[in-house]
Amino acid sequence: MAAPTTSTPAPERRRRSPSGKVSFLASQRGRDLTLIWLFLLPSLAIFALYRIIPMAWNVVLSFQFWSPYKPAEFAGLYHYEEMLFYDDAFWQILWNTILFMISAPVGIALALGVALLVNTQIRGRNVYRTIVFMSYPVMTVAVGIIWQWLYNEKVGLINFLLISAGIIDRGIPFLQNFDFALPAVIIASIWQVIGFYMIILLTGLQSIPPNLYEAAAIDGASPAQSFRRITLPLLRPSIFLCFVVGIINSFTAFDLIFVMTGGGPGHATDLLITYIYSTAFTLSKFDYAAAMTVANFLLFVLLAFIANRLAGGEAGAVRREA
Amino acid sequence: MRKWASILAAGAMALSASLMATQAWAQDKKITVVTWNIPYFQDGFNLWVDEFKKIHPDFEVERIDMKGTELPTWYQTQVVAGTPPDIVNIQGGLWLEYASQGGLKDLTPYMERDKDYADRLIPEFADNWIYEGKQYGVPLYVTKTLLFLNKIMMEEAGIDKNPESFDEMMEMAEKMTGEGKSGFMTLNFDWLYWPLFKMNGIDFVNEDLTEAAFNTPEAVALVERLADLTERGVIDKISWTGRWVEPNGAFAAGTVGMLHAHAPAYLWFKSKGEWVNEDTVDSIALPGGWATPNSHSLVISEGSKHPDVAWDFVKIATSGVGAKAMGEGTNNLTGDREVNAELMKYFEANVPAVVPALQTELENLDKLTGNWPFAKDAAIKEAFYPEIQAAMLGQKSAEDALNAAEQKVNRILRSR
Repeated sequence: MAAPTTSTPAPERRRRSPSGKVSFLASQRGRDLTLIWLFLLPSLAIFALYRIIPMAWNVVLSFQFWSPYKPAEFAGLYHYEEMLFYDDAFWQILWNTILFMISAPVGIALALGVALLVNTQIRGRNVYRTIVFMSYPVMTVAVGIIWQWLYNEKVGLINFLLISAGIIDRGIPFLQNFDFALPAVIIASIWQVIGFYMIILLTGLQSIPPNLYEAAAIDGASPAQSFRRITLPLLRPSIFLCFVVGIINSFTAFDLIFVMTGGGPGHATDLLITYIYSTAFTLSKFDYAAAMTVANFLLFVLLAFIANRLAGGEAGAVRREA
Repeated sequence: MRKWASILAAGAMALSASLMATQAWAQDKKITVVTWNIPYFQDGFNLWVDEFKKIHPDFEVERIDMKGTELPTWYQTQVVAGTPPDIVNIQGGLWLEYASQGGLKDLTPYMERDKDYADRLIPEFADNWIYEGKQYGVPLYVTKTLLFLNKIMMEEAGIDKNPESFDEMMEMAEKMTGEGKSGFMTLNFDWLYWPLFKMNGIDFVNEDLTEAAFNTPEAVALVERLADLTERGVIDKISWTGRWVEPNGAFAAGTVGMLHAHAPAYLWFKSKGEWVNEDTVDSIALPGGWATPNSHSLVISEGSKHPDVAWDFVKIATSGVGAKAMGEGTNNLTGDREVNAELMKYFEANVPAVVPALQTELENLDKLTGNWPFAKDAAIKEAFYPEIQAAMLGQKSAEDALNAAEQKVNRILRSR
């Protein structure tokens, strides 16, 4: 016996108002909606309290002169003018953030290479997988300290290797050098997250049915063609996920920067997030920091929009069963 | 049954109300004191509390110790929350931001009332905490910059006298520079490098603090020279990139000839470098006697519920037995002149290694620099230093860096 396909109550059970209309709560749709909102309410309340209200307050703050010690005054677009036309550090830092962000594909490409290697039937592949993944659970502060020592001008392993190989004749102060500092921090960041990317991509690789490769081989496809026509298209969701994680990482890599360079030398390794923090808490310019946070948020929304379009425009959509 | 339930509910409510009232009363009779990175100073702090309780037996004292990097963030969030600590141990120019915005209590009336106490303080150090004619802090312990000499490296380079001018200091630094060794290094935070400019006759601002005065041909020549010395390794690059651990650590490694730092650096690098002792490291004033103070003070939050009580605690901590405990506990001198005389005797007997460095702290007090009372001290530092740093590390020409710095600093000085 088939189950009822509709849950609409029988007409005789509906409660009618004196005017003859069915009351909202008496209708099935009304009850469903009420139930949905009741279930959603706790999460929405928390979301509003910790996300929406602070963000809205932040927007308000960005149009004011405000400090913890004084009442607020309307500032109009003063902080936005400051940010766009006078603060040359802001533009440098925005560029740093973009560079940090576009380094994500490099990490993903490396992780894909590693994932392909450890996905083959080589001996001890689980050991390799573990070794590559090991960097991910390490605390970011520890990662920062490890790489600080690796980059050390006098006793760092990297300088030792470069000098030993005869590539350089004296140590390079990587983290104190305006040209090397940001790439050095980016490398440390990629090293930390590469294990995570690898696991995501490995899972994606293992979910590709082997018969597709077998069929391709029978049709005479070369390994490169199989990779391009089967592996890459089917890995697209995993790569997209890694890309999103990479973008988020570039906006939140506060601890790594803070430990390794503090944003220096100059602003060479400052990201928007570190600059916002130091503007607020070192310079006590909370209002200006709020304006930069709005810019940061808008940039993030723009990137999310682009990423969503690239993913087919339906990321996060809930499909209804027909 | 319903009657009993009502009685129980009423009883519970009465109990809760009385507990809350007791808690509120307990909180009302409490002051909070924040110290700056001296968690080990517990015995001395307990002595302060014992002395304080003699005059305010009904008050509790809560102590919170914080690292310098964490304190500003924490303090400002407490101010926003309406629960600022009553007393804060503060350092550098941080207090100026707070004082200029009305966040700190004006202590001038207290100082005028307690003349005996005020007279004990060394005026040059007490004056460091004046903004627009008002006293906002009193010295807890005092430090200023000096020059540490690595006598082993000096001897190896054939140098048998102390430098007496900037040129001589740099010539000696050059002689000591070699494979993996630098002749000179300075700390750079909180304007600690400014004596190098001042000893060359360069002023940062005009007298009324309204306009930058540093962009002169002499300053361009000096920055070019310092950049060249840095490029050639005579001045260690860490001078312009490190903060505290890196430069002091490098000096402790024994590969730096001279270190321009403040007195507390001595015991730090002594603890890291086994070679450091009274015979191998000398402590002298920078040629010309210029120095940047980097003292700590106690301030009272404007939002303190008990400013008068807090003031009593401040007086105890910064004078007499309280100050002596501070000096002995941290190996520093204090703002109390009489206590300092006792402390020097104590150090000569117990910690002779620190005596030469501490002696310089009380000399040349008319030659303090880098302690301008700017309302936006942090913003000015942030505008000036990255430009200078870029020039010192060869990223920008001295002229471009000073022009850019002048423009930025003037904009801040003129801003609201």
